Amino acid sequence: MSEQLPSVLESVFREIPNLAFEEKGARRLRVKLRADTLPALLELLKGRAGYLHLSAISCVDWPTLNEFELVYHLWSYEIKTLISAHIYIPKVPGRYVSVYDIYTPAAFFERDIHEMFGVYFDGSPDMEPFILTEWEGPPPMLKSFSTVDYVEKTFKWQDYSPLVND
Amino acid sequence: MKNSTTISISSDPNTDIACRTIDKKERSLLRKVIDRIADRCRSRSLFILHYCTGCGAIELPPTITSRFDSERLGIQPMVTPRQADILLITGYLSVKTLKRVILSYEQMQGPKYVIGMGSCTINGGMYWNSYATIKRLQEYMPVDLYIAGCMPRPEAIQEGFLQLMDKIDKGQANAWETYYQNYDAYLGNQQALFGPNWHTPTDVIAEAQHYNFLTEKSIGQHTALLAKFASEYVTQPIPNKVLSQEEAVE
Ligand code: SF4
Repeated sequence: MSEQLPSVLESVFREIPNLAFEEKGARRLRVKLRADTLPALLELLKGRAGYLHLSAISCVDWPTLNEFELVYHLWSYEIKTLISAHIYIPKVPGRYVSVYDIYTPAAFFERDIHEMFGVYFDGSPDMEPFILTEWEGPPPMLKSFSTVDYVEKTFKWQDYSPLVND
Repeated sequence: MKNSTTISISSDPNTDIACRTIDKKERSLLRKVIDRIADRCRSRSLFILHYCTGCGAIELPPTITSRFDSERLGIQPMVTPRQADILLITGYLSVKTLKRVILSYEQMQGPKYVIGMGSCTINGGMYWNSYATIKRLQEYMPVDLYIAGCMPRPEAIQEGFLQLMDKIDKGQANAWETYYQNYDAYLGNQQALFGPNWHTPTDVIAEAQHYNFLTEKSIGQHTALLAKFASEYVTQPIPNKVLSQEEAVE
């Protein structure tokens, strides 16, 4: 597998301890690593392999785990391979470091994740609400927040209702 | 009509003569005939406020432009609420958007008509379980007509327009009056969603009085909460006079 891997990526991956990667398809690499080593990986990818583009950060709230999964999607216009770097951070206290100093667009993604999942990013320039400026409830994308219960409490229906148990 | 002897001009200095309160008895037979003609003309020339909220808005360009051409029916888009007759809610409304919609609605001049377009405005539609969108538009403002569908095709929208025109023509499209008559209930629903500090710059109660639609249901426990904003805005919990033009403009 690693024969097809560009040598520059191989050299980067070798520098990060406990990194595992998997080829999910042509030009798609799934990388799993320890949370504390992620900034180092981003720095190396950006510096050596032309990974200039952080296209998204996504967050997954696994209901059965006590951890959030954060996925950093990176693209290089030289190597033309998408790298998705997966890390896990504990749900309590739900803090992680911002990668804003490496990729400025991260500010926006981190602000969004903070709003939707409550994860706080240390060093991110702005953690104020972005879309939910008038929302006072818990971060709504958390699995522990039941939107159906909230809707039942907050809204009324017409004479008929989409709820099956009615 | 203009110089009919039955019209007594109010001596209240705050009352604008052109907009004076009309006595019920004044509605003579001639007046009714004129109203009937006015309703017919009105139904042939309608302007939709160009304000789109949900994905259903994508059906409006074909409805309004050459293919389906709602201008045949006399319906055109208009860019400002003050010059529009129809508020077309084109789909799901998030709680945040609803606030803006209410602000726009209150700025429109009567008679005004609200069309809820798409299933989302009726009962939440496919966003029925979303925390962010409201489920029934009619709780927050009076709705003349709903057009079901997700999304309704331009044919259905035209059909809705025709029905609305028919209602206006027959003098039955009077939902906007209930906003003034039951303002306390509408405001109560708005406050339940937006919190007790919700208020708009429009003095709805004074308008209700002006249009002669003030009922005992216009004022109540919910409008009483507006008292604390009376200094900041024109709104007064219980008005004791019709606003003068200078006050209303402020
Ligand atoms: S009714 Fe359908 S098309 Fe209209 S806003 Fe809702 S989801 Fe979109």
